[in-house]
Amino acid sequence: MEIKSCAVIGAGVMGSGIAAHIANAGIPVFLLDIVPNAVKEQGGDRSVVAKTAIEKMLKTDPAPFMHKKAASLVTPGNIEDDLAKLADVDWIIEAVLENPQIKHDLYKKLDAVRKPGSVVSSNTSTIPLNILLQGQSEQFAQDFCITHFFNPPRYMRLLEIVKGPQTRAEALDTVARFCDVVLGKGVVACKDTPGFIANRIGTYFMQAAVNEAIDGGLTVEEADAISGKPMGLPKTGTFGLIDLVGLDLMPLISKSLLSTLPQDDDYRRIFRENPLAMKMIAEGYTGRKGKGGFYRQTKLPDGKRVREAIDLKTGEYRKQQRASLDSANARGLRALVESPDKGGQYAWRVLSQSLTYAADLVPQIADTVAAVDEAMRLGYNWKFGPFEMIDQLGTGWFAEKLKAEGKPVPHMVEVAAGRPFYRVEAGTLEFLGTDGAYRPVVRPEGVLLLSDIKRASKPVAKNGSASLWDIGDGVLCLEFTSKMNALDPDIMAMLRKAIGIIGDGKSGPFKALVIHNEAPNFSVGANLGLALFAINIGMYPQVEQSIAEGQETYKALKFAPFPSVAAPSGMALGGGCEILLHSAAVQAHAELYAGLVEVGVGVLPGWGGCKELVLRHTANKKRPGGPMPPLAAAFEAISTAKVAKSAFEARDMLILRGHDGITFNRDRLLADAKKKALDMVAAGYTAPEPVEIRLPGPAAKAALELAVEGFALQGKATPHDVVVSKAVATVLSGGDTDITRVMTEDDLFALEREQFLALTKTTGTIERIEHMLETGKPLRN
Amino acid sequence: MKNVVIAGYTRSPFHLANKGELTRVRPDDLAAAVVKSLLEKTGVDGAEIEDLIVGCAFPEGEQGFNVAKLIGMIAGLPKSVAGTTVNRFCGSSMQAIHMAAGAIRMNAGEAFIAAGIESMTRVPMMGFNPMPNPALAQVEPGAYMSMGITAENLSKKFGISRAEQEAYAALSHRKAAQAQAEGRFEAEITPITVPGGKVVSKDGCIRPDTTAETLSTLKPAFDATGTVTAGTSSPLTDGASATLICSEDFARAHGLKVLAKIRAIAVAGCDATIMGYGPVPASKKALDRAGITVKDLDIIESNEAFAVQSMTVARELGFDPEKVNIDGGAIALGHPLGATGARITGKAASLLQREGKALALSTQCIGGGQGIATILEAV
Repeated sequence: MEIKSCAVIGAGVMGSGIAAHIANAGIPVFLLDIVPNAVKEQGGDRSVVAKTAIEKMLKTDPAPFMHKKAASLVTPGNIEDDLAKLADVDWIIEAVLENPQIKHDLYKKLDAVRKPGSVVSSNTSTIPLNILLQGQSEQFAQDFCITHFFNPPRYMRLLEIVKGPQTRAEALDTVARFCDVVLGKGVVACKDTPGFIANRIGTYFMQAAVNEAIDGGLTVEEADAISGKPMGLPKTGTFGLIDLVGLDLMPLISKSLLSTLPQDDDYRRIFRENPLAMKMIAEGYTGRKGKGGFYRQTKLPDGKRVREAIDLKTGEYRKQQRASLDSANARGLRALVESPDKGGQYAWRVLSQSLTYAADLVPQIADTVAAVDEAMRLGYNWKFGPFEMIDQLGTGWFAEKLKAEGKPVPHMVEVAAGRPFYRVEAGTLEFLGTDGAYRPVVRPEGVLLLSDIKRASKPVAKNGSASLWDIGDGVLCLEFTSKMNALDPDIMAMLRKAIGIIGDGKSGPFKALVIHNEAPNFSVGANLGLALFAINIGMYPQVEQSIAEGQETYKALKFAPFPSVAAPSGMALGGGCEILLHSAAVQAHAELYAGLVEVGVGVLPGWGGCKELVLRHTANKKRPGGPMPPLAAAFEAISTAKVAKSAFEARDMLILRGHDGITFNRDRLLADAKKKALDMVAAGYTAPEPVEIRLPGPAAKAALELAVEGFALQGKATPHDVVVSKAVATVLSGGDTDITRVMTEDDLFALEREQFLALTKTTGTIERIEHMLETGKPLRN
Repeated sequence: MKNVVIAGYTRSPFHLANKGELTRVRPDDLAAAVVKSLLEKTGVDGAEIEDLIVGCAFPEGEQGFNVAKLIGMIAGLPKSVAGTTVNRFCGSSMQAIHMAAGAIRMNAGEAFIAAGIESMTRVPMMGFNPMPNPALAQVEPGAYMSMGITAENLSKKFGISRAEQEAYAALSHRKAAQAQAEGRFEAEITPITVPGGKVVSKDGCIRPDTTAETLSTLKPAFDATGTVTAGTSSPLTDGASATLICSEDFARAHGLKVLAKIRAIAVAGCDATIMGYGPVPASKKALDRAGITVKDLDIIESNEAFAVQSMTVARELGFDPEKVNIDGGAIALGHPLGATGARITGKAASLLQREGKALALSTQCIGGGQGIATILEAV
């Protein structure tokens, strides 16, 4: 069976977020909730709950929808009038209150209307499957499982899936595959145990981190400085994370875990009710959603904002202090826990307990250590799962240290007996099974990871900022490896090298190029430090040279005789976006954040970004006629540094074109891009013809400048915005050209160079670059 | 010489562009509905019409080609009726009336429809392809100046404060809301059936709860340091209007109900950077040509492009506030550029009838530095 339609019952934060994400994937979905009593008594819209949820999501930031249009795929309704509509639905997700009686009654109603073979799943995070199924039909039990999404469903990659003893294998596979391929989730199979994997270990970790901070006399800033980035955990740290999740949620999670955990579970030992937190909740300090949490921002009488933190001893807010702990700068986990200061001791106490706890839960909560690690990476944004962390400490070292402290060694660490949980054997990643034997990490069909290829082979070429990899079937992959994947001369050189190696795509071993990497961000743009250095010492010919070199390189990419497919995920900004614009095709991760943001640092897109947006908007068949609409659209995107917040928005901005693809699961991106490249080869790829264009010149420039001056008067554009915008207007309108004159792509490149260079000679632009390098934020000068 | 009269006036409801009820209506369809309704209301046979003159400030896109002739086709006018589109920006459909009047006096026809149209939703202000002359833009800053900035210039030049503007704007809403509540617009409005079948028969821009206090919280819309806000500007509006202009003899022969006689007309240019001043010289010319003074006027329809603009005109000409825009002005009702001139002139004519008065003035300012004015007289 293939899932072509869905329904979500329960329009709370989770239910509506799940429905939105299903709609993101282009699948129609019903979103049903109760008819409120007030409506029953006084009349009104009986589907008001679901409708309100959809309206609210359209205003939520970060947006649950990848495109406003996706909202039209969500059909609101109510469970009293609309259950019959579920007769044709393939997958029904229950996300109602965590109350078994309510769920039981609902399941009976669903069972009466659903079609045979449809799947029903619960998004419960606390109720065991066997309790959910009490009193349900045999048929229902066979078609039922638990699918546990994480909040927010669009952004969190983990999906925990739990089957019952009667669940049909095909039903489970269908849902798991749909969640993987269509919704892009990392699907992890869990046992039917309390809190499944991520919340079980995550809750324990947070409790341990709070306990040890209080016991060890650490401030919240110190605890967070250690229990964040140094451990490979989200940079908020523990208290910051609790503020984000909501202080009031923590006791609820604890309560539900305590009601179902085994009697001898170690969480019972470490659980404490935190009087300070309870007092804060009672007074409305529930975290970022409330009046504040362990941290808050307050306004002083003079209007200045100040960050404050709770003193864990007194419970009073005080000015936030910067933690100064040597251990926070320790290199590696082992160095961290061996640091002699209180931060190092804190790290050890938190990690020794949490990692021991996790290492005792396999195979109780999941079949493999790999599943546990994956769940923590995807569900809690840990950089490394608990077993990977133990590997970093050394399993033998970890066991010895626990023994020395008179603490029990966890089961799986005993199994490891000094060996690592992961190893690479003949280029293949293997994990340690519960029986003590290594097994290969098997990727699902359609998953190709550059990291797997890198383990198994040597690069075709490599320099300080980029590598080329043979990803099989004649496809070469260009990987950026510089800091933040900032583009520099080494990357340009490697791109030219790739183009040279592939040649005509027929006579050598390679026939296509994929541009991809597994970093959080595809590329944040050009290396500003290099640019500033050249500008500061007045090396303008070198600045122009680097612009020209980038242009030549991107031009060679665009007109190469073989197909190139860029496969970006995360941010593709500035020069990183211009690579997409010059590739023959793009296979984008749905979570793509792309835009030409150069004006933020006082320059303009100089590697063909202006040129490509003008050409694309001009060729757009849906636009109004005349020479101005395409220029106005390109001008708006570039002069406001507009960033698409999904691949779908990037399509609206013409950064993606009709033939470009979108992949929901990051792990499937490279395979999809490779397939796209090979399909293009098979279809007899030929390079595009250079485009010629007629632009209106000074008249268009005058019109755009009038608009800019209006924005400046309105206070929406700063003085240097005006300078930069006018330079952008000059390029987009074609400079001094006339509407009767034909311009080439090279003419537009030349205009980009000229105006870019002129901007780098202004103090406003130099100030913007310096400010960005120093603070990471744009200067509004 | 022939006397020229206004023997019919109707308009669509006016709604906010981009969010009102008329956003999905094509402007040519909207105008055609109003033209058709005008003929039905007056009972005039379409075959008697010489020309359909349609004012439009941005005659492109869906209001492009020669939209007047096309509107005639959609409205089902006989093929014998001619059509011409006229652009004098905001003064376009008052200009249509003037052209009809001039033609009648020239003995170049007996009956005309002078109409106006603007969908500011479907054809943006400035049009799709603004392409100013760069050299002119350099030497004549007013040539392409944003209307909001010209309003700010008036505020500075004539010392009209933000609070005064807000009091004026709130009054416009109050007058319009009261007129609406008392059904005083019903006779002039032609209900419009919009895609989806809904019939829209009421104006959509009026905000009855607007007060000077609520307006005082808005940010300046055009100049961060200025006094003019969205609340003291006329809103972007979708709407259409139409008047029947004919000779007095024609009206008598066909038994038409004459609303008013056109006594005098005028246009005048002014400095583009204070284009809102345009009605002052234009009205003075028209009053002189009619041989009357402002004191003789009973009814004044003075367009409210901006509160400060309308206030400047009133002060400079010495209007009696009691006689100006008695059912509210464009700040409350909306200002669909090309359609406003026929609305205020048709409105002034019907007010002479309704209120039993003798003399009326309709006047408006025009972007680029102009004014236009019409003097009407009860028959």
